[in-house]
Amino acid sequence: MSEAASRLVPNERLRVALHALDAPRRAALARTIAEAGHIVVDLQDAADVVLADGSCPAGETRAVVALGGADDDLPGVLPRDADAAQIDAAIRAVAAGLIVRLYGARESGFGAMRETDGHALLTPRELEVLAALAEGSTNKAIARRLDISLHTVKFHVESLFRKLGARTRTEAVAKASERRRRETIML
Amino acid sequence: MSDSTDPLVQFSKALVARADAAKNAVAALRLGHGRHVTAMLWQSGVVVASEQALPRKEEFELVAPGGSILTAKVAGRDPSTNIAILRTAESIAAPAIAVGEAQAGSVAVAIGADGIGGASARLGIVNLTGPEWHSSRGGLIDRRIVLDIRLAHREEGGFVFDAAGACLGMSTFGPRGQVIVIPAATIQRVVPQLAKDGRIARGWLGIALQAVAVPDALRESADQSSGLMVMSVVENGPAALAGIVAGDIILSVDGTSAHRLRKIARHFGSDSIGRKADIRLIRGGAVMTVQTTIAERQAA
Repeated sequence: MSEAASRLVPNERLRVALHALDAPRRAALARTIAEAGHIVVDLQDAADVVLADGSCPAGETRAVVALGGADDDLPGVLPRDADAAQIDAAIRAVAAGLIVRLYGARESGFGAMRETDGHALLTPRELEVLAALAEGSTNKAIARRLDISLHTVKFHVESLFRKLGARTRTEAVAKASERRRRETIML
Repeated sequence: MSDSTDPLVQFSKALVARADAAKNAVAALRLGHGRHVTAMLWQSGVVVASEQALPRKEEFELVAPGGSILTAKVAGRDPSTNIAILRTAESIAAPAIAVGEAQAGSVAVAIGADGIGGASARLGIVNLTGPEWHSSRGGLIDRRIVLDIRLAHREEGGFVFDAAGACLGMSTFGPRGQVIVIPAATIQRVVPQLAKDGRIARGWLGIALQAVAVPDALRESADQSSGLMVMSVVENGPAALAGIVAGDIILSVDGTSAHRLRKIARHFGSDSIGRKADIRLIRGGAVMTVQTTIAERQAA
């Protein structure tokens, strides 16, 4: 078996360099990579594959799997909301020298500015709680960090779940990250 | 068997004539790996393409009507309206095409480039039309036009014609694979600016904003229930120079409420550059006003 093909062996641990500018997003992707059994390495370090959130750094010569982004000439192109199984499969395939595209899909397309309804907008405090959730903090740790009671943290977390339509902490972080991506404006 | 009075035969013949005439209106931009996207021959030497479909390269091989291959250089891109323009070294003539008004239910023909100098055609109807709208990148699109037409990726960026052969605009993909039209009016407005400057000038403060709910305790003094929280500040940008910091919640700009994103986006058109703006915001539990000067956004 060639060296490249051997990388498609299930359970093979790959070194994945992660390029993501958004901190919560980076944390979430790092978790996805680790949970798939791979090792996250620094961008400068030797890596089997680069996972880029959006566009990849200029001059990157290694095999890249991009999540969203404008460059569709990269070996791996997945939509930004690709799930963990798709990311794992794409990393393995691209490291093995294959090209990966999602069948029948395409980047979200040219659309209208989105705005969350007033009643579902998060408060600054909820955003702080959310940032802590993204780092995997427990309610107790969040209470300590924000200097509020455990009861208040639970209240904020429940409010976050309701406003984001999420059932788990991971889902809340993912949905908030998606909303932030769609609705952040640069002025 | 051919009956020239049969309406279906006449209809088909009319479509063939349209597709044949449209061959001289579109070109293919090669992307490599045998793929291409479509560009419209808009005016002599200038082609228009879908910005989102165009990889970030400066130069493309263009397959002109008839199949000759030219070099096309990107001369301007505007992600906010999804319009890119390219110039060809040797100018190709662009056919004179009238502009039409889209109406829901009317027949629409979408023309793509086939990649070897000819055209491909798609037939459908205008699914719906609506008023002007703002794109997620802040650009103003003059009219909402959704087509009931399937489109291949290589056909994106081509002309959409009505039954009379008038141009409705450029085909492109909207969310969820929907095929929409960038109206001719938008292209006519944006192309001269792109040709002149290579981009669309926009006002800039150097901040990233996200809508947030104003905390209950501050609703009364803020006099509104939502605002835009500053998520990050560009170093030495106009906002940074005015002392705006991450965590500030912007309530209004020159009296325009920051309650809705699109209203605020409208406040930062090209005419806003150099203007002083009073920004009302919440910081540390208090409402205050700071003044800043709107600068011009640097190329993305």
